[in-house]
Amino acid sequence: MPAVHALQLDNVFAALADQTRRAIVERLLAEGELNVGDVAAPFAVTPSAISRHLQVLELAGLIERRIERQWRFVRVRADALAPVESWLSRQRRNWAGALDRLESAVAAQTPRRQKS
Amino acid sequence: MSDHTMEETVLRLERLIPAPPEVLFAFWTEPAKLLTWWGPDGYEASVHSLDTEPGGRWRITLRRSGSGVRAVSGVYRIVEPPRRLAFTWAWEDESGTRGQETEVTVTFEATPGGTRLVLVQQRFESKQACDNHIVGWSSSFDRLTKTAR
Repeated sequence: MPAVHALQLDNVFAALADQTRRAIVERLLAEGELNVGDVAAPFAVTPSAISRHLQVLELAGLIERRIERQWRFVRVRADALAPVESWLSRQRRNWAGALDRLESAVAAQTPRRQKS
Repeated sequence: MSDHTMEETVLRLERLIPAPPEVLFAFWTEPAKLLTWWGPDGYEASVHSLDTEPGGRWRITLRRSGSGVRAVSGVYRIVEPPRRLAFTWAWEDESGTRGQETEVTVTFEATPGGTRLVLVQQRFESKQACDNHIVGWSSSFDRLTKTAR
C-alpha cells in the first residue's frame, strides 16, 4: 500500500476512534453544514477542545471548512470514506483468494464421507 | 454510494466448506496445514511462530523469487477450538516495523454439509479503542457511507 494512503487510512480510523469526534461527524451528517460555533452546542466540552477535534477530523479528510464573511462553517466531505473503501476491497481480494486455496486444500486432505 | 452499508466498511466473508469444524480449525492452527493454503500462488510461505493460545504470537513470511520477503504478524486474542479464532494482523516493513494493525475474527459453525466459515476483519486504533468503539464505528460508518455524497 502506498505510504500516503496508509497514513490517510490511519488518520481516518484514529479520528473516528473517539466518541466525541464520532458524535460531531454524526451531527454534521444529520444537520448538514453547521456554523463552527453551533457544532459545540450539544457537547459538554470547551470550545477549544471542539476546535481540536475539528482539526483532527479535517486532517483525516473527514470534514471540510468554508468561510463566508465572518462565519465559519464545517461539513462532512463527500469522499470522506474513500481510503477505507479502497483498503476494504484490497483485503477482500486477498482473503477471497486465501479462502479459495483453503477450500481446495481441505478438499484434497479430507476423505469424502458422503460418497462411501 | 447511497446504498452502501456497514458491510462495506467492515470486511466480512462467508464460505460453506464441506468439512467438519475440527478439521477446518486445524488448517488455521497447525503450521503444516496452514502453509498448504496461506501463501498466494508464486509465494513461498514460512511459519516463524504460531503460538495458538490467547496472548500467543504468530508470524508468517512470504517470499517471492525475484523480490523480497514480506512478513505479517500478530497476537492471538481468542482461541476456542473448533469454534472461534481471533487475532491481530499487521504487515511488517523492511525494518520489521509493524504497520497498520487490524483484528481478524474467524468463526467455524457446524452445518449439515460441513462448516460455515465467517471471516471478519476490521481496523482499530488500539485494542482499547476497538473494545470501546467498534460498535460506534459501525453505526458511524453506516451513516457516513449512506449520507456522505
